[in-house]
This record gives sequence, C-alpha cells and structure tokens, in this order.
Amino acid sequence: MLMPNAQNTTTMLSVRGLTKSYGGTIHALRGIDMEVKKGEFLVILGPSGAGKSTLLRCLNRLVEPTEGQIFHNDVQITGNRRNLRAVRRDFGMVFQQFNLVRRLSVLTNVLTGRLAYRSSWRSLFYNFPQEDKRIAIECLARVNMDHKAFQRADTLSGGEQQRVAIARALAQQPTVILADEPVASLDPKIARQVLTYLREVAHELGITVLCNLHQVEYTREYAERIVGMSKGRIVFDGTGAELTDDVIHRIYYRDPDEETAEEK
Amino acid sequence: MSLDVQRQTQSLLDELAARQRWHFHHILIVALIIAFLVWCANGVDLRPRETFSAVPVIADYFGRMWPPKWSFFSEIWKPAIETLYVALWGNVLATIVGVPLGLLAASHVSSSRIVRSSAMGILNVFRSISELIWAILFVAAVGLGPFPGALALGMNYGGILGRLYAEAIENVDKGPIEAMEATGASKLQVIMFAIIPQVLPQFVSYNLYWFEVGVRSATVLGMVGAGGIGFELITAIRLFEWREVGLILLFILAMVTVIDLASTYIRSRMY
Repeated sequence: MLMPNAQNTTTMLSVRGLTKSYGGTIHALRGIDMEVKKGEFLVILGPSGAGKSTLLRCLNRLVEPTEGQIFHNDVQITGNRRNLRAVRRDFGMVFQQFNLVRRLSVLTNVLTGRLAYRSSWRSLFYNFPQEDKRIAIECLARVNMDHKAFQRADTLSGGEQQRVAIARALAQQPTVILADEPVASLDPKIARQVLTYLREVAHELGITVLCNLHQVEYTREYAERIVGMSKGRIVFDGTGAELTDDVIHRIYYRDPDEETAEEK
Repeated sequence: MSLDVQRQTQSLLDELAARQRWHFHHILIVALIIAFLVWCANGVDLRPRETFSAVPVIADYFGRMWPPKWSFFSEIWKPAIETLYVALWGNVLATIVGVPLGLLAASHVSSSRIVRSSAMGILNVFRSISELIWAILFVAAVGLGPFPGALALGMNYGGILGRLYAEAIENVDKGPIEAMEATGASKLQVIMFAIIPQVLPQFVSYNLYWFEVGVRSATVLGMVGAGGIGFELITAIRLFEWREVGLILLFILAMVTVIDLASTYIRSRMY
C-alpha cells in the first residue's frame, strides 16, 4: 500500500496516529505522529515511562500498536503480520542490556543478524553460508571488535558487548537501527564511544538511527534532531540548539495534558 | 545522636523478640503436623520394636554374603555392561522424548495454552508411571531383553527430563530471545540461537544426573525381564546363593560409584 502523498523520497519512516494501550486503561502511546528521513540520527528524549521504548518496539512490531499506521519506505508495515520477518530484518535493534547470547562466540552473535535471510532448517545445524560470515566479520571490523571474534560474549566488557550488539544489528543490513537506551548501563567514556559508532553508522552507511536516551547531556552532544516525549506524547521536535532549559523542563516535569489545556 | 542510635537499636531488638516469640497459631500448626504424622503411622502399620529385631536378621543376610563368590564374576560382567547400555540408551530415548515435549511445555516457546498444557499432560503421564511398570508393559509388547528396559527408562525419564527441561527454558534470560526476534529470526531460529545455548549446560547436567539414577534403576529392571544384571540378582536371591548376591551388590556399588564420580567431575567442569 502506497503512502497517499509520497513526494518526499528521502522519508524513511512515517508514523501516523500511533497509539498503544494495555487493557484499555494504561496508555503508553497517545497518538504519535512523526517523519524520519533517510540517514537521520534522531534522539528520542524523555523520562522513564514516557513511552520511548514502546514507540521503538512498535516500529519493528515487537509490540503490536493498538491504532495508527507506520510507513517504511512508503510501504505500510502495520496490520499485516505475514511479512513480519522481512520487516524486522530491515530494522536493526540495540538494547540497553545488550542482549547477546552470552555463551556463544562474538562472531556467532553477529551471525544471528543474518538469520532472517536464511531458512529455519539450515539453522538447525548452526550453519551459515560463506557470504554471511564475510558480512559478519566486516560488521565486527566496523566497530573494531574483529580481534575478539572467537571469544565468548560473556568474556567482554559492557562497552565491548554493546559494540558487538551494534555489529549484530549492522549484519542485518538494515535501513533503520532502533537503539533503546543503548548507553544507560555504560560509563560516560564508553557511552560516548558507543554513541559515536551509532552516529557514524547513520552518516557513513545512510542508516536511519532512532536512539532513545534519558540523558540531556548526551542528547545535546550527539543529536541532530531531537524528539521529546512525555506521557506517551511528542512534546518537542527540533534541533539541539532549540533544546532550551524550558523545553527540558517541559519534557521532564510538566504534565502535557495540563499544558495543552493551557495553550487552548 | 548516639542516644538516638541506641534507642533505635533497642526498638529493633524489641521487634525482633516479638517476631521470634511463639504464638498460639505456631503451636497449633506444629501440633497438627505431629497429629497428622501419628495418624499416618497407623496407616503404614509402624512397629518400632520389630524394626530393632529386624537388624540382626538383615545383618545375618549380609553376613552370608561375605565373602563374595569372586569366581561368579565371569558370569555377571556381561549383564553388568548390558545394564550400562540400558541406562545409556534409556537416557538417549528420554532426551528424544523430553526435548520436544519440554520445549512445547515452556511458555517462551509455545504461546498456545492448549499446546502447553497437553505437552505437560503427556509428560505427567510418562512420569507418573514408574519405569518398572513401563518395563512390564514393554516386556509384554516387545519381548524379554535389554530393549524393553531402555524403552521403559526412556518413557519414565523422558517425562522427568521433559519437565526439568521446560523449567530450565522458563528461567532463561529473555533479553536474547527478544533480540533474536527483533532480527526477524523464525521461531525455530530463536530456539536454536537464543534458548538452546542458554539451557544446554543445564540439560547436560540433568542428563548426567539421570544417567546415574538410570544405572541404579536398570539394575532392578532385570527382575521383570528387561535385561541387565537385575535378572542375575533375582535368580541368585531365589536360589539362596547369598555369596553370589554379595558379589553382584558389590559390583553394582562399584559401578554406581565410578559413574557418580565421573559425572560429578564432568558437571563441575561445565559452564
């Protein structure tokens, strides 16, 4: 299904009226509208519980949205669950807790990014084609982790694990990377390193990166565009320069429901 | 300040004393438990005096077993090895039965409640019928020998291992599962890459332990004609060849000890 007005060819993601509620009482997302361009490095900023995580998980349908539409490259990806694997393959994901399989080698972890390209039966034998191995090693090299390819994932430090997780996402050859609080469990130095890798990915490979953060400091440093979320709504959309103290106050402390009432 | 700390410490001590005090309902619960045990003792026809008079009789039997009839060894080493085969293949069959049913019974793998509870139900049936009963059934079905013994262990231990596998799967770290799903991996791929690597050491450990148990158990299966050393054992008992019984028991003890040590060693080297 084509998007009604698809004149902007560089739009990667388009979200329309996205809501997610649990049991009709808890509203995690209350109508999200946004457009994200190809190769954009977008930070979604907001306090815990603002719905950032739910938003990212709706995009690759780890969470099924209650209402609304998502267009990816002008193709609607909501509704139909048949192409789910193909959709998810296009969205790499990076997690706060890295979520590597700790007992598998670094390289095997990166190879799992190739699974959606291969048949299930082949996976019964933990077998990957030569091409996948080459892709995986290249992705590891991009995050400078190729020297630890054969170590078990649980022997790595947190920062190293997150770099491997980025390599796993890259191995999917995605058009979008969703990073859910990727630096929340890392120290500042390592956190900056990881964010730098993510920004490089956007600039050099033209991959759209949506990165959830709760730290204003990193957001100011890295974001080109910032979307501020509060209580399931977007309350700010602008550049780092426009992220004033007042805006931050609005994202973190003010109730968006009261605010819309005030404006009216 | 220090007075404050003292007062607070005192109040905590008081609370501790209050918590440790015996209350009426504590006494009631203990009394009920004792009453229940006494009532059950009636049920098992407990006769303490006769327990003591049994000691010399048992001791007498063990006395007759000594010294073991070493020459009998040439007769029993073959059935003893057969017992190991039964335990080993019983374990392999149990794994073949247990892994698929265990996966289906775990909520991370099967989202359908009907599938989960039917898998659990089958495991319950397999488990609740003891290996001895299974052995009698299989001897009737496929004839005498070690094969029905292995099948019997396969069914009973399949039920036990399947349940243990399912619990191990329920307890894995869910993060990697979500990560694998997010890459677009299929259900089977998620199982192979996110679940199996996490549970494998536990699975191996369970299998080793139930192999140990299986060796002990397989020594009995022969009594119902399902192969192994049990047949020699029951024959020797029936013929009152106590010194032969002595050798068999000694041999079983040695076998089980060696396997216990080996499997404990292997399990300590895992993870």
